[in-house]
Amino acid sequence: MTRGDAIVSCPAATRLPLGQLGEPGPERCGASTSWRVPPANSIGHQRSPAEQGRTVTENAQGLTGDPLAMTSKRLYGPAAGLASLLVAAAVLLPFRDDLDTATVALVFVLPGVAAALAGGRWAALVTAVAAGVALNVGFLRPYGTLKVDLIDEVINLIVFCGVALLTAALAARERDRRQAAEERAARIEALSQENMEIRDEQERLSAKTLALGIAGEHRSALLRAVSHDLRTPLTTIQAVISDLRDGTEYDPAAQDEMLDLVADEAERLARLVANLLSMSRIDAGVLLPERQAIPLEELFEACVKRHSRLVRDRKVAFDVALTLPLVDADWTLVDQVLTNLLANAVRHAPIGSRIDLAARRRSETMVEVSVADQGPGIPLELAEAVFTPFRKGPGSSSSGVGLAIARAIVEAHGGTISIGEARRGGARVVFTLPVHGA
Amino acid sequence: MAALELSSHFRCTVPEPPSPGSAGPILVVDDEPAILRALSVALRARGYVVRTATTGQEALDETALVSPAAVILDLGLPDLDGVEVCRRIREWSEVPIVVLTADGSDDRKVAALDLGADDYVTKPFSTPELLARLRVALRNRSRTGRQTEGPAVLTVGSLVVEQAQHRVAVEDRTVLLTPKEFGFLCLLARHAGRVMTHRTILQSVWGPEYGTETQYLRVYASQLRKKLGDEPGHRRLLTEPGVGYRLVDPDAVDPPCFPS
Repeated sequence: MTRGDAIVSCPAATRLPLGQLGEPGPERCGASTSWRVPPANSIGHQRSPAEQGRTVTENAQGLTGDPLAMTSKRLYGPAAGLASLLVAAAVLLPFRDDLDTATVALVFVLPGVAAALAGGRWAALVTAVAAGVALNVGFLRPYGTLKVDLIDEVINLIVFCGVALLTAALAARERDRRQAAEERAARIEALSQENMEIRDEQERLSAKTLALGIAGEHRSALLRAVSHDLRTPLTTIQAVISDLRDGTEYDPAAQDEMLDLVADEAERLARLVANLLSMSRIDAGVLLPERQAIPLEELFEACVKRHSRLVRDRKVAFDVALTLPLVDADWTLVDQVLTNLLANAVRHAPIGSRIDLAARRRSETMVEVSVADQGPGIPLELAEAVFTPFRKGPGSSSSGVGLAIARAIVEAHGGTISIGEARRGGARVVFTLPVHGA
Repeated sequence: MAALELSSHFRCTVPEPPSPGSAGPILVVDDEPAILRALSVALRARGYVVRTATTGQEALDETALVSPAAVILDLGLPDLDGVEVCRRIREWSEVPIVVLTADGSDDRKVAALDLGADDYVTKPFSTPELLARLRVALRNRSRTGRQTEGPAVLTVGSLVVEQAQHRVAVEDRTVLLTPKEFGFLCLLARHAGRVMTHRTILQSVWGPEYGTETQYLRVYASQLRKKLGDEPGHRRLLTEPGVGYRLVDPDAVDPPCFPS
C-alpha cells in the first residue's frame, strides 16, 4: 500500500491543483469535494505587511506633507493676503477722495479674511497690520503719512484694526476647523480602507481554511474508499483461498466458479490500482496526455478484449462509422476511461443485457464516444454529482472514483463528459475527444 | 461426502448438529456480490441450502419468509445498519446469527453480540473459520434454547461441569471453584465454542446492574485458567480482546477456528 500512502501524504497545496477547491457544493461531506476547482493561487494570495504599510503611508501623506511644502504653504497665506490688499488698494486709490473711510476699511477687511483662510492666524495678522498701515497711509488725510487729522478717522482706524483682527481670527479658526475636519475625513478614509483590506484578508483566510478542510475531508474520503475497495476483493480472495487450502473436495463446477471468482477479484484490484495511480497523478497535477492518432474502433476492440472476463455475461455491441476520423488522444488514458465506463455498466446492468459502445463525429473538431447500458439508469438529479469523487450512484458498491477519473482524463484532453439521454432506459455516458489534425 | 467431512470436524462430545439443509437454508447477507458468491459456493459444497440478501430489509424479509437455520450477516449494509437488523430479527426470532464485521469496528460487533448475535468473524475471514463458527451456532441452538440451563452435565473435551452438583472436573481431577467462578464457567460451558460478551457474562453471573466491570472478568478468568490448568498454546478459556470470552475444547479438530 505504499502507493496509497504516497497519495494521501501529499501536502494539501499540491494535492488539488488540477482541480479546484472553489466550489465546495451545498453539502459538506467528502462526496461534495470536487476536483473542478479554480487554480490554487486564487486562494493563497496574501498581501505582505510591507505592501499594506505602503498603502497607509500614501494615505497619510496628504495630511502631513514634507517640511519644504510646509514652508511654502506658510508663505502662501501672507502672500495671498498682501496681494489682495495691494489689488484692493490699487483699485480704490483713484477714488480715495470720493470714498468714505468706513467703506475703504470694510473692503480692507477682506484681504485679512483671505489671508486667514489661506494661511491661518499668522498670515491674517500680517495682512491686518499691513491693511491698517495702508489705510492710514493711503486713505486717511493727510495722505502719505501715518498721521491722522480727524478724531473720527482715528476711531475709524482703531475700529478697523479691531474688526480686521477679529475677522482674521474667526476666519483662521474656521480654517483650522475645516482642516481638522478634512484630516478626520482623511483618517476615516484611511481607516475604512484598512478595514476593507482586513476584511478581504479575512475572507481570503476563511476561504483557505475551507479549502484545507475540504482537502482534509477529501483525504479521509479517499482513505475510506481506498481501504474499503482494496479490502473487499481481498476479503473474497482470502475467503476462497482459505477454503481451497482447507482440502475440501469440490466438484469441478464449484472449483471453476471459485477460481473465476478469484480471477475476477484480482482483475478488480488491478483496475482499482490503475485508478489510484491516475488519481495520484491528477492530484499532483501531472496528468498530461501523451497524444497520438488513435483509431477508436481498435481501441474499443482492444479494451473489450482485455476485459472479456468482466463483460462475459453481457453483450457488447460496437457502432463506429468507417469514416470516423482518428482522435488525438492518449491510448492508455482513454482505455482507462472506457474501462471505468464498462465496469460501471457491468456493475449496474443485469446479466445478459446489452452494452453499446458507439463513436461518431460531433463537429469539425470533436468526436463523441458513448457507453450505454440497460441498467436502472442514473436519476437526473445525480447526473452531475456522479462525476464527483467518492460520490456513488444509488446502490453502487464501487468506490465512486471511476467517473471522477474519467472526467479528469477527458478534460485533460480538452473534451467534455456527461450523462447523456438514454435511448433504451439505462445509463448513457457520453464524452468527447479532439479529432486528430483538426 | 458432506456428512463425512462434517463428522471429521466434530470429535468433541457434543451432539452432532442437524444435517445441513434439514433445518432450513442458511441466509447469507452481504452487499458485496463477490462475497455472496464465495460463501454460496462454499456452503453449497458442504450440503447447505443457501439464500442470499444484499440489503437489511431483504434480510428481514427473507428471515420471515424462509425461516433460515442460521443467518450470516454483514454489519455494513447500505440501507439498514447490521446491528439494527440483528435487533429486529431478535424481536421475534431465535435463529442463530453469525455477524461479519470489517476490521476496526469492535463497538458494532459487541453491540450485535449484546443484541443476541451468536458469534462474529472479522473480515477478511477464512472460510473454514466462518463455517466452524456457523456449526457451533447451529449446534448450540439445536441443543439448548438461548439463555436456558441446558443439560445437567456439560462436557467440553476433558472438562466436565455438573451443574446441579456444582462440581467441576478436568481430566477426572476435581477442581474447587468459588460460586462466581462456577457461574462464569457454567455460562461459558453452556455455550461452548461461542463468544460470550463481557456484558452478557457480568449480567448473568454478577447481576443485571453490572455491565461494564470488565476488570472483574480479567481476575476471574485468570483464576479459572490457573485452576483448570490452562497453559499458553493449549487453552480452554479464550480471551476475545475487547469482546468477551469463549470456552473451547483445545483438543477438538476444528482448527483454525479457535486459535489459542
